[in-house]
Amino acid sequence: MAIHTLLFASLLIFSLIPSSREGNKGRLFSVLQNSLDVTGKPVQDGVVLEAGKDMVTIKWKLKSSGKVDADATFKTIQVKLCYAPISQVDRPWRKTHNELFKDKTCPHEIVSKPYDKTPQSLDWTVDLDIPTGTYFVRAYGIDGDGQEVAYGQSSDEGRTKNLFSVQAISGGHVSLDIASILFSVFSVVSLLVFFVKEKKKAKLEQRE
Amino acid sequence: MGDPTGEPGSSMHGVTGREQSFAFSVASPIVHTDKTAKFDLPVDTEHKATVFKLFSFSKPHMRTFHLSWISFSTCFVSTFAAAPLVPIIRENLNLTKQDIGNAGVASVSGSIFSRLVMGAVCDLLGPRYGCAFLVMLSAPTVFSMSFVSGAAGFITVRFMIGFCLATFVSCQYWMSTMFNSQIIGLVNGTAAGWGNMGGGITQLLMPIVYEIIRRAGASAFTAWRIAFFVPGWLHIIMGILVLTLGQDLPDGNRAALEKSGEVAKDKFGKIMWYAVTNYRTWIFVLLYGYSMGVELSTDNVIAEYFFDRFHLKLHTAGLIAACFGMANFFARPAGGWASDFSAKYFGMRGRLWTLWIIQTAGGLFCVWLGRANTLVTAVVAMVLFSLGAQAACGATFAIVPFVSRRALGIISGLTGAGGNFGSGLTQLIFFSTSHFTTEEGLTWMGVMIVACTFPVTLIHFPQWGSMFLPPSKDPVKSTEEHYYGSEWTEQEKEKNMHQGSLRFAKNAKSEGGRRVRSASTPPDNTPNNV
Repeated sequence: MAIHTLLFASLLIFSLIPSSREGNKGRLFSVLQNSLDVTGKPVQDGVVLEAGKDMVTIKWKLKSSGKVDADATFKTIQVKLCYAPISQVDRPWRKTHNELFKDKTCPHEIVSKPYDKTPQSLDWTVDLDIPTGTYFVRAYGIDGDGQEVAYGQSSDEGRTKNLFSVQAISGGHVSLDIASILFSVFSVVSLLVFFVKEKKKAKLEQRE
Repeated sequence: MGDPTGEPGSSMHGVTGREQSFAFSVASPIVHTDKTAKFDLPVDTEHKATVFKLFSFSKPHMRTFHLSWISFSTCFVSTFAAAPLVPIIRENLNLTKQDIGNAGVASVSGSIFSRLVMGAVCDLLGPRYGCAFLVMLSAPTVFSMSFVSGAAGFITVRFMIGFCLATFVSCQYWMSTMFNSQIIGLVNGTAAGWGNMGGGITQLLMPIVYEIIRRAGASAFTAWRIAFFVPGWLHIIMGILVLTLGQDLPDGNRAALEKSGEVAKDKFGKIMWYAVTNYRTWIFVLLYGYSMGVELSTDNVIAEYFFDRFHLKLHTAGLIAACFGMANFFARPAGGWASDFSAKYFGMRGRLWTLWIIQTAGGLFCVWLGRANTLVTAVVAMVLFSLGAQAACGATFAIVPFVSRRALGIISGLTGAGGNFGSGLTQLIFFSTSHFTTEEGLTWMGVMIVACTFPVTLIHFPQWGSMFLPPSKDPVKSTEEHYYGSEWTEQEKEKNMHQGSLRFAKNAKSEGGRRVRSASTPPDNTPNNV
């Protein structure tokens, strides 16, 4: 009873911390200006990239065709790896929402830098924990309050062009497999040893 | 008492939470304490403990209790170990929502069969070996998570791990060899509830273990695989403890060999017939599917739900999800107690109403959980839902022993299987397709709970009535003796095979309610307390 009360109290405390996302609610993706020009090209076109090994060259700059002072409010640029629609099918935890705080399209951050007016370029090695899927790159221009004001992405509006594929690491290791087999064998063998030993002891005692 | 001679269904005796206690052998219902026996706890003539001392580890009775419920809990930990780690696993194995849902269904399906077989295994090898065999032979299935590379492997491994939930049977059986039937209800109810807590413990344990391994330097997709070694080691440790510290019977391990062949066994086919043709059996199968069943389903989906919907960290979602399963610590026994309390005043009608109210309330809180938009409301709704569902489990098994005396074992087993089946069905319909979001699934699950609890109104006992109808007016049919006696044929009655049922019927008269209880107290009506 006491344990339960303690747990309940502690989770109420926990709940107060993350629930304070009220500030950003309502900010929509559709009101953002598409004022950044972003390209994300894998080292080799048409090849599936391996997580942890292969690289993507990412470039971003302000669109020359846009307004002159479109970047006046930018303080930081946040570049993210985003799921293409094909990788969102049957996976509601990757769903695209217009409300930015709900949107799950771009969960993986590549880099977050203070805004620089000059065109930027980055050679990014795909992280080890990037899942298998098809991706594009998106950059958000963020103002001093931490709110997104503009964006740019390496794909088109429908997110069907200029995509690249990543193959994740398996996560398995030979040492893990060996340990797993060893413990499994130990479990079965020790059970059988006990069983046989006790049966023998019982037989001996029965004879007496 | 788990009859070591293996009377069919005997392995399920005592499995119910709050049954009235009756001897299942020919001995007198009044318990004689054996004062010559040298045990830490007072024992009866069979050397079964007559007292339940919770915080003792005295050999062999309380030690058995602790070994037993901890092994059962370990199996719950490993069966639901994947659930809080799904946010990581789904990315590593490239799972779709269907794959995750199917794996959840698989995790509860295996034990439908293994529980049926486990009774026979306990009869053959004894509960100690039954438990140890299951726990140690399922350790490799837990370790094999490290080999899984896709959806098919994940579903298969979860299915295989799920077999170990049959430790429920060995747990109850073992307890009934160690504890007198006067208290076996409370003992088994506590053991079952605390075992189910494992489903909550794992939601807390696995994310913490995962986090520690990640901080030690492993990548995410390797860390979760290593985390599975922890439940695997628990299996091995508990198996060894059970083998070295446990014993089958109060006097040792070999007595069972000497006793075999004594008691005339009841025919399995006959018992099965009486279980299957009693319509109340099937109502309870359905009901348990929507109390225990939804509890198991929620164990599988709740951590991922909080992680995704409220953008929590993995271990925060795990902490909240743990509260759901941990409520079993007191919620299940509380349900049994509530049923007993209402039976004191209103008899069986009180028990039925209690069950209906608790389970329906649980369903409504589940609907609220699905519709909750803020974290705090969701947590409150979840906690209330857990109390409702788990208390309903306790209240269900407070009524089941009255459905039949002869076929109690099989009916209890069928009801238990119904729980798992209900869980699989619910996960399949509401949590495995893109048709429903998880919050919609929870809402509809709540609606289904309320709908599937209605059949309680149909349960009618001629001797006690139902929720709305009074007992039968027929002077013959309205007696307990007639109801329980009707399970035996005339030839069997001539052989006096039905004596146990008649004794049960006499003691069951208290289910008539306060009028009956105060009117007559039969001289050998043993009090139903610990």
